[in-house]
Amino acid sequence: MKSSVSPTQRAAPPRPRTTSAMLLAGVLLTSSGCAVANSAGGDTGRDDGRTLRVVLTQEPPTLEPCEASLTGTGVVVRSNITEPLVERDPTSGALNPLLATGWKQTAPRTWTFDIRSGVTFQNGAPFTAEDAAFSIDRAVNSDLACNVEGYVFGDEDLEVKAVNDGSLTVTTEKPDPILPLRLSFVEVVPRTTDTKAKVRVPIGTGPFAVRSWQPGAAISLDRFDDYWGRTPDFARARYVWRSDASVRAAMIDKGEAEIAVALDPMEAEKDTTVAYPNNETTALRLDGREAPLDDIRVRRAIDLAVDREGIIDALLGGLAEPAGQLVPPGVVGHSDQIEPPRQNVAKARALVREATADGVPTGRQITLVARNGMFAGVSETAEALQYQMQEIGLNVRVRMADTATQLQYQLRPLPKNVGPIALLIMHGNQAGDAAFTTSQYLLSDGPQSTFGTDALDRRIASAGALSGEKRQKAFADLLTEQNQSVVQYAHIAHMNGLLGLSRSIRYEPNSATGDEMRLAEVHSAKGAKH
Amino acid sequence: MIPFLRKRVLSSAVPLICVVLGVFFLARMTGNPVDLYLPLSATPEQRAEFSAAQGFDLSIPAQLWNYLVDAAHLDFGTSLRTGQSAGSMVIDAFPVTLQLAGVTMLLAITGAVLVGSLAAYRPNSLIDRIASLLSMTAASIPDFWFAIMGVLVFGVSLGWLPTSGTLGGPEIWVLPIATLLIRPFGVLVQVVRGSMVSALSAPYVKIARSKGATPRRVVFGHALRNAATPVLTVAGDLTVGLVNGAVIVETIFGWPGIGKLMIDSILQRDFAVLQAAVLLTAVTIFALNILVDVCHALTDPRVRQAVPA
Repeated sequence: MKSSVSPTQRAAPPRPRTTSAMLLAGVLLTSSGCAVANSAGGDTGRDDGRTLRVVLTQEPPTLEPCEASLTGTGVVVRSNITEPLVERDPTSGALNPLLATGWKQTAPRTWTFDIRSGVTFQNGAPFTAEDAAFSIDRAVNSDLACNVEGYVFGDEDLEVKAVNDGSLTVTTEKPDPILPLRLSFVEVVPRTTDTKAKVRVPIGTGPFAVRSWQPGAAISLDRFDDYWGRTPDFARARYVWRSDASVRAAMIDKGEAEIAVALDPMEAEKDTTVAYPNNETTALRLDGREAPLDDIRVRRAIDLAVDREGIIDALLGGLAEPAGQLVPPGVVGHSDQIEPPRQNVAKARALVREATADGVPTGRQITLVARNGMFAGVSETAEALQYQMQEIGLNVRVRMADTATQLQYQLRPLPKNVGPIALLIMHGNQAGDAAFTTSQYLLSDGPQSTFGTDALDRRIASAGALSGEKRQKAFADLLTEQNQSVVQYAHIAHMNGLLGLSRSIRYEPNSATGDEMRLAEVHSAKGAKH
Repeated sequence: MIPFLRKRVLSSAVPLICVVLGVFFLARMTGNPVDLYLPLSATPEQRAEFSAAQGFDLSIPAQLWNYLVDAAHLDFGTSLRTGQSAGSMVIDAFPVTLQLAGVTMLLAITGAVLVGSLAAYRPNSLIDRIASLLSMTAASIPDFWFAIMGVLVFGVSLGWLPTSGTLGGPEIWVLPIATLLIRPFGVLVQVVRGSMVSALSAPYVKIARSKGATPRRVVFGHALRNAATPVLTVAGDLTVGLVNGAVIVETIFGWPGIGKLMIDSILQRDFAVLQAAVLLTAVTIFALNILVDVCHALTDPRVRQAVPA
């Protein structure tokens, strides 16, 4: 498109208007720069000791409370801006009172909650049982299609009724022994909240209220002075986001942030980083509907081919534990009896040879699908798994995908005519009960399961109706059963998160930190209140 | 000039249309965004309702027609991700990228003219060799590596600059601009040097020297004017590349510009925002190309004379 002109030939003299135009452009661009550079405090806010500065991986798409089961939204909203009726202690798994002071099962399908008095919303309105009923109804029964509805309640609707200002009943379609746990995911909002559309900025009863949201730059919170509970140390909080992990780590080193999430294992040796179990488990999901993965010997062989210790040591910075089941310790249903299989290449090869001899097309190409950015070292992990599967005589290619593409493989309806798929998944069970895992990943027609057995389905259904020790044993047994008779999963590792913490603060991360970072639990290192 | 301009507009409009249509069709080939935006338990009815509300249930040609009709009324739809107007999100993001690209090119051209001219004035001198080595190195350094090294060295180790961010004093500009600047600067130094070496050996320059013109007058008054055309052409191409290529800088330094918005929109299958961002970027590149061609024609009459009326 551009002409080629010999520079040795004399050109026409430049017109004055060209020079003027360039100068004008320069002036405009330089002056418009002021629109960006207009705050002395910077994105992260001032290092004034009163503002807690947190750097996230990405900007939350919304702060809508009913979307708080999304990690990006929940980490800002949950227990900071809004609160649920009850909260789960991430360490002990016990349910603690929050906006409800007590609860009990008053009928086989009905639970009654006592509502805390003296609580006000950040808009000044008093909190009553009416608000709690409204919030549950809005999140679970409405047409808003809230994420909490899908992840926690499935397609079940609840019958919610405010008996009086201080009491609430919730009735389920079937008896539900863990309803209070499920309700710990429903954030309470005032009854004046929009029911036709999701809100972008919420009002809640939490210790912090949203002061401003500068799109693309920062979200600022102010301490809520009329908060009913203990006053947080910090008067303000400010969230910014940087997608590169090394930049997030650098912001801690430079003193530009007090907390940085999701650091890379290469930062693990620093005294400003803390590793914590984040309840995430990685595994290969083997599509048992397609040859050669429809043969249990091939699936067992893959399970035996995985070098868990090698992957953890070499690729995950040692920040994980070998896994033999989808739920980590601390989750109801986790079985201490399940040992992660040790790599046994000879035995795995023998299983593949046996399957081949019986006519199983073990040479058919298996596609190992993994998601970019799922965890630090994910592409290297996928390549290691490919190598280990090839070592036992299988034909594997790796396909790295973005989130939306990977979800097409992960969620039903599953794609057709794509051949045998081994999907690298990372499952987080933040609810602390295996029911949330098995209903998704192990049921024959579970939203994230490719196949199963009728026997396992029955065990999942019956375990879900139990409580206490019986519930724990039933889920532990069916996880064992999965490993013996189904083998849909070659489990890899129970993961750890890595948090960057400034020396100026005290904070102990727990298994919920990645999804629910309670700012009120962050304290100044000097212990001083601001 | 008018026939030249008309022909340039028509020839540049073809790729503009291709890009806009290409993005529209390619986006839809990546699948229905319903999985990203509805919960796992969404019923078929909810999925159908979502698709209908977003117009995804229509045939692709019908979707395209609606998009073009709405775009003609400056209605670019609503972001699936944020619920905001796609047009306003793009309008908010675009100036950030333009600021980065504009300041970068001003600095790159100014610096390259000075360094390139200096190197060309005495070919094969020490200054020339150093300038060539540095410019070739600069043109070869990966943006990503340079950005991260800049953060670690000037942000963390020396503590001179902030690691990232968009709000603050002039210091926030240094690392992003330096990262964006390094490649165009390296390329332009080499182009300026090459053009100036040719220009300085031309007969009219020798005549100017023999008349006693000062070196400054020779370089900036005579040779540079003649060497400007290829520099302008390359600078135009590099500016177009900067508008598109600010993705790395915006991602690493947290600048909410059009590059980052496009990447986020692709990853989140946020079609309305992606289409609006691509349309605005394509129109801007279209306008930049026309501007470069006009400048080109203004500085060299043979260019406009080459175009038949």
